[in-house]
Amino acid sequence: MSTASLDHDAVREQIPLYAVGALPPDERSVVETHLRGCAECAAELAAFAAVSGALAQIVPPHEPPAALRARVLGAATVIDRASTRRPIGAWAPWLAAAAMLFIAIGAGFYAAALRAEVRLLQAQLRVALDRVTDGERRVAVALRAAADAESPLAVLTAPDVRRIDLAGQPVAARASGRAFWSRTRGVVLTAANLPALPPGRTYQVWFVTSAAPVSIGLVKPDAAGSVRRLVDSRGDFPEPVAVAVTIEPDGGVPAPTGDKYLVGAAQ
Amino acid sequence: MWLAVLSTVADASAADADRFALQRMVRGDPDALAEVYDRHGRLLYSLALRIVGRQADAEDVLQEVFTQVWRQAGRYDTSRGTVAGWLVMLTRSRALDRLRRERGEAPAADVDWASIDVVDPGAAVDLRLVTAQQAARVRAALEALPEPQRVPLELGYYEGLSQSAIAARLGVPLGTIKTRMRQALLRLRDALAEDAS
Repeated sequence: MSTASLDHDAVREQIPLYAVGALPPDERSVVETHLRGCAECAAELAAFAAVSGALAQIVPPHEPPAALRARVLGAATVIDRASTRRPIGAWAPWLAAAAMLFIAIGAGFYAAALRAEVRLLQAQLRVALDRVTDGERRVAVALRAAADAESPLAVLTAPDVRRIDLAGQPVAARASGRAFWSRTRGVVLTAANLPALPPGRTYQVWFVTSAAPVSIGLVKPDAAGSVRRLVDSRGDFPEPVAVAVTIEPDGGVPAPTGDKYLVGAAQ
Repeated sequence: MWLAVLSTVADASAADADRFALQRMVRGDPDALAEVYDRHGRLLYSLALRIVGRQADAEDVLQEVFTQVWRQAGRYDTSRGTVAGWLVMLTRSRALDRLRRERGEAPAADVDWASIDVVDPGAAVDLRLVTAQQAARVRAALEALPEPQRVPLELGYYEGLSQSAIAARLGVPLGTIKTRMRQALLRLRDALAEDAS
């Protein structure tokens, strides 16, 4: 008799206790390791998991206090899911600096346009100055709108942004990348050292979800192999378990078929 | 017989409604959470109260559970079991954690159903909610167990005591406790599997 089947008999005996959470941690991990490779024990667990569920449902019934409903629902939903999930942490200063830079550049361009306008309206200086004031107000409005609309900045500065680091796979060991995902504002993908694409091929970005992978969009790197772009800002994607970049025929495919070039797990 | 058919249909549509509610929670719809509370709050509260014993503690447990459900709605894979089954397991885990904290033990000496679901999609965990008839059979079987089998099972399941703690409390050798708990669970499984017809 092999040790595997000895293990099997011993584990099978433990399954009922495992299912109701009655095993100490060391015995529990033995069972879990065995369960991964044993359909018979997994079926046994299913039967006892149902017993465990039944035990929970045969307790004496009690009506919850009426005030509990409002308290429970209020407390649960007041918590911002995004902010409790993933603190922005160490790269917050970097983000703030990037945001300042974007705003400075944007405001600079806008101010230059305003100056040109003032020159055209020298004869009506007072009116022009009024327009500058008005223009500044519009800058503020425009910047606010930009933060809410489709722009990489909007994603990077979203309160619920999450960073997913992507590692180069065997076909592109030097490649690396990052995905920034905000449930409300979209996805930004950056990548470096991606191999040049052969004609008729594109890179396709995927959210690997608990169901099927979802295509996020197509990207083509520049001559240096870099990608830096807003892939999508619809913001209604299912939460990713992982992000992957595969090579696919031009135009993309509904489900991944080609080699994986970049992969990263969401924590 | 028609009643049984009708109640099966009702169970199935409630399970669908739960799944749909979970999707709505992912999109941030607080009404979806309220709907789930209205469907299952009574059962979950009763379970929490059975375990923690005090009304105030049971209320805290329910608050923790619904907060967790709201936050993790997107992470629960509904193809792996009913939402109600998940809620039941979360409630038991949180309630037992609370008891263990009071006893000064480390929490989560328990099968962590939620994380099995998230990190190991391969494990076959059946979180079905049982029908009323099945529950009645299991309750009858539990009550019919000889006391030396029933008491260790109840101490383990509803009090979260480890087997060695049960052995110490009852003054029975550890191996005997393991055997008795196993026998009790086998009987309950047979009661659950009995065909109603």
